[in-house]
Amino acid sequence: MFLNETQEEVRATTRSFVNAVVRPAAEALDREERFPTEIYDEMGKLGLFGIAVPEELGGPGFDTLTYAVVMEELSRGYASVADQCGLVELISTLLVRHGTPEQQKMLPDVMSMKRKVAYCITEPEAGTDVSGIRTTAVRDGEGWVLNGGKIWIHNAPVADTGFVLARTDKEAGNRGMSIFIVDLHAKGVERGPKEHKMGQRASQVGALDFQDVRLGPDALLGDMNRGFHMMMSVLDKGRVGIASLAVGIAQAGLEAAVDYAGTRKQFGKHISEFQGVQWLLADMAKDIEAARLLVYSAAMKIDRGLDATRACSMAKCFAGDIAVARTADAVQVFGGSGYIRGFEVERLYRDAKITQIYEGTNQIQRMIIARELLRKGATA
Amino acid sequence: MKILVPVKRVFDYNVRVRVRSDGSGVELANVKMSMNPFDEIALEEAVRLKEKGVATEIVAVSIGVPQAKDTLRTVLAMGADRAILVHATDDVQQDIEPLAVAKILAKIVEAENPQLVIAGKQAIDNDMNATGQMLAAALGWGQGTYASALEVSEGAALVTREIDGGLQTLRLKLPAVVTTDLRLNQPRYVALPAIMKAKKKPLEEVALATLGVDIQPRLTVLSTVEPPKRQAGVKLHSVDDLISKLKNEAGVL
Repeated sequence: MFLNETQEEVRATTRSFVNAVVRPAAEALDREERFPTEIYDEMGKLGLFGIAVPEELGGPGFDTLTYAVVMEELSRGYASVADQCGLVELISTLLVRHGTPEQQKMLPDVMSMKRKVAYCITEPEAGTDVSGIRTTAVRDGEGWVLNGGKIWIHNAPVADTGFVLARTDKEAGNRGMSIFIVDLHAKGVERGPKEHKMGQRASQVGALDFQDVRLGPDALLGDMNRGFHMMMSVLDKGRVGIASLAVGIAQAGLEAAVDYAGTRKQFGKHISEFQGVQWLLADMAKDIEAARLLVYSAAMKIDRGLDATRACSMAKCFAGDIAVARTADAVQVFGGSGYIRGFEVERLYRDAKITQIYEGTNQIQRMIIARELLRKGATA
Repeated sequence: MKILVPVKRVFDYNVRVRVRSDGSGVELANVKMSMNPFDEIALEEAVRLKEKGVATEIVAVSIGVPQAKDTLRTVLAMGADRAILVHATDDVQQDIEPLAVAKILAKIVEAENPQLVIAGKQAIDNDMNATGQMLAAALGWGQGTYASALEVSEGAALVTREIDGGLQTLRLKLPAVVTTDLRLNQPRYVALPAIMKAKKKPLEEVALATLGVDIQPRLTVLSTVEPPKRQAGVKLHSVDDLISKLKNEAGVL
């Protein structure tokens, strides 16, 4: 109803790919914590990375709403796969907006996953509070020398190129950080071991250490000392992406629960005939639909150039919270089976948890919503 | 060489089909609709022939309600060069019978002059399995139905068909009509950039009246019923029970 013909077609196409290729692979990928190169190669060919990259730069040039639709469908198959799409979207958005023509030449390889990327912000002392970063890039002739370390970096164990936030002016606070494009195979880059996570286990996460890494003059992305602002400028879209991802996880849980309730028999009838189970299913469905509509509303605000900050935070916060709550309900519908490895809902519940944490914790989202309310008034 | 691919908009194969309360057919209003899967195989085969350099142009045609344009957009994204919608009705519930479809397609063939028509062997809505055959008859062309392999070269098509005893290979002189079986190929997924590019490809609308074909139904549907519910199985206690059931109830011994 909210989607136009093209967006519906994108949804249908993504869904048929996900049903055939992604969803059946999710259980093994989770168990083996494996980076699914073969799926990403295929997605690269189908144009499922870099959804909003304009046609003149080799992308499909879709809007944010279409991106949200793709993210939900991918996540319905497997959240780790969707999160890879979200990461590439973020990096390609930065390159499209701030990259020089020379830097933008890497876009086709980024979108085909020939070049794997990482977005390197978080440090031990700088999580939610980015201003605490200690990684530094110091001028050295034409280029820079990079020193410091990053943790919890998505793709760190496998990435070729890092987009690294580093301090370039110690005194200037948020106006003293810049983003550098760093070859992660270069001398002085060390990778920490792969972390073993609760969920989204096909996503490879780890630490990066930089020791006197020499950066050339073309390593700087965008303007000097504007790194924090560039990062903030893609936050809204990132939140829409993670909100959609959360909706996709919850949607997969709902589908599994409805299916199971209609087949599982106790006391001589399907458990779907018990009102207690029906209420679980109904609550799941209405929360998921509400979250989806918040996502669409936030995405449409971005596409129309409206102030989207509050809408994006509301979508991300609500979708993350209900993804956890409603996949817990899906486990409940499955009973003991839902607690067993190998049942989809057990994985979905684990995969959902991080959506309350990454891309800004849901506590931060609430702070943003409240700040916006108090600054701009309660009237929508 | 030009290839014509007819496609039908049918209820999506994932949809749970409901019989209309008056028994006249199945409910099609407010139901998710998609391209007939056999037609998707036909289109994929045509695209592969074009990729091999055998075909130069693929024209897709659909007959029915204006909403079939959505199906044709998908067809264009999958690789057809042009699409034609024959606007035959506004009633989503109306099924146009194979004979009328074959006559309309024959008119399109006259105008387009393709060397090959590749069609799905049947549509998954009513499983008639007749349009391709009727079209070949109407045109006086050769036909290769249930193709599980297709090779096209200099003026001829080699069609492999799955028959009861094994595989049969026919050599058809072109022009000809080929209908596709399930195992002919695995249709590709549409690439997202292709969806955007398909918007710029030509989609022509033709009014039924200009073709002069009568689509009045000649068949009458007497009733449509749901298949009987599957009975639960029973556990037997002895081999004797089993033999007695097989003899007296199943009648297979």
